[in-house]
Amino acid sequence: MSRRSTRRRDGLSLSETLPDRGLFALVAMVGFLAALTLAGACGARALSARWAGGAAQLVVIQVPQPDQPARQASGGVQAPGEQSRADAVQAALVSLPAGSIVHRLSAQELGNLLEPWLGSGLKGQTATSPSAMPLPAVLRVELPDSTLPPATLEQDLSAVAPGVIVERNSLWSTRLHALANSLLACAGLALLSVCGVATLITGLTTRAGLASRRDVITTLHGLGASDGYIAGRFARRTASLAFGGGLTGTVLACVPLFALLQITAPFTAEADGVPATATQNSLTGQDAFLGSMPSDLLIGLGCLPLAAALICWLTTQLIVRLWLRRLP
Amino acid sequence: MIHLDTVSWRRARKDPAPVLSRLSFSVPQGGFRWLLGPSGAGKSSLLSLLHVETLPTSGRMVVLGQPVNDEQKRATFVMLRRRIGMIHQDFRLMPGLSVADNIALPMRLQNRPEDEIRDEIRSILKWVGLSEYHDAPAERLSGGEQQRTAIARAIIHRPGLILADEPTNALEESQAHRLLDMFAELSAMGSTVIVATHNEALVRRLPHPALFLERGHLVSDETPPL
Repeated sequence: MSRRSTRRRDGLSLSETLPDRGLFALVAMVGFLAALTLAGACGARALSARWAGGAAQLVVIQVPQPDQPARQASGGVQAPGEQSRADAVQAALVSLPAGSIVHRLSAQELGNLLEPWLGSGLKGQTATSPSAMPLPAVLRVELPDSTLPPATLEQDLSAVAPGVIVERNSLWSTRLHALANSLLACAGLALLSVCGVATLITGLTTRAGLASRRDVITTLHGLGASDGYIAGRFARRTASLAFGGGLTGTVLACVPLFALLQITAPFTAEADGVPATATQNSLTGQDAFLGSMPSDLLIGLGCLPLAAALICWLTTQLIVRLWLRRLP
Repeated sequence: MIHLDTVSWRRARKDPAPVLSRLSFSVPQGGFRWLLGPSGAGKSSLLSLLHVETLPTSGRMVVLGQPVNDEQKRATFVMLRRRIGMIHQDFRLMPGLSVADNIALPMRLQNRPEDEIRDEIRSILKWVGLSEYHDAPAERLSGGEQQRTAIARAIIHRPGLILADEPTNALEESQAHRLLDMFAELSAMGSTVIVATHNEALVRRLPHPALFLERGHLVSDETPPL
């Protein structure tokens, strides 16, 4: 007779007191909601990070009449006679923080960018074409993390190319960052609410179990069972049910999450510089699911059943020990 | 050793009259006391108090040398209850458990080795005449058999204090006499024994000092006249 099996022969009959159906099913539902909420939280955090790291560090500079000769800077430095306004602006960008990446959009890239508004006729057109629409030169500047462009950037560039437009994304980025943080906070609150629901369900189930086994518990208490023993028996039962329920809920939530990841795959892949089709073609089934799932979400989902079990274990321990306080 | 000094107990703090009122007595270690009195006198309440199922409302109580009051840690009471064997009037056996598992409970709660528990169960079942009911569900036994099971459960772990509430009610006379002989033997071996009963014949058969209760008051602490 093993020690494990004999310890359970104490008359509590927890499989009858705390039946599988109720708590298991409720925790499975809560686990399902928690998994979706967790995915939402991870999404909001990734979005916030992407916006913070991307948009805020991006500066777009438009140089009208890019091929016209640049003028002499007010500082007295003469731009070379043959230097165009666009080249002069690009040369002036050396004052940006080290590590900045300056890229001048080609005519092809500019055409692609404007195609939705102006049609495909612009593709391959150059500013010198006779029928050409006057297009500005567009310079895309990516600043290193945690750096800002100089406050006088627009003024400095206007000195060599009057009419230059500097678009800073920091204002938008701040707003988007605040929005992402709000989403993250909402997801956190939703996750807390789900934990609260799990606690409430466990509490009610445990109290019902205690009420139905009152006489048996009183007798066990009289025979010398400690609070820890009785609370531990109840807690192990609710924790095992919660683990099973949490696991079921998490697995069920993977179905809609997989569908959602499939839908968002093109956006995330392209944003990461990977062609969407390549991502979709190279992975299938479980690999596709695991491959497309962010690692922090994967870890979070893996921890959900354990978290459910821990919440139920702690709640049950607390409630049983408080209940036992009425006995000396 | 048991010592009560002006101990009172109320079921609820707002109750006008205490169930037990200003009880004072002592029982030395290894002593035997009958607990006598009419129904409703407070015998079962006194046994519950001595079993530390409840705490005195006032007064000072010492059980097995351990002060019992609300200043003590709960773990102290757990250890104390493990040294007490209580036989309830309604047996309080665990439904769904076999006779052997019911009897084994006090030892299992003390994490005693399974081999030792098995040996003890075998010998005590033989002693109470229930060897053939080792694996029988406790709820299927007759009243007398359930009472013997409850007695076996109360004494299997050799408690320092045995409290019995009408332990011979469902027993035949010969079994009741055997039980009393066993109580006397345990008392001689150092266990303190307090037996509440209405059975005057038993008291006559085993003359020991008695505590007489009446309406919660201790009216006498003497050996009953024969």
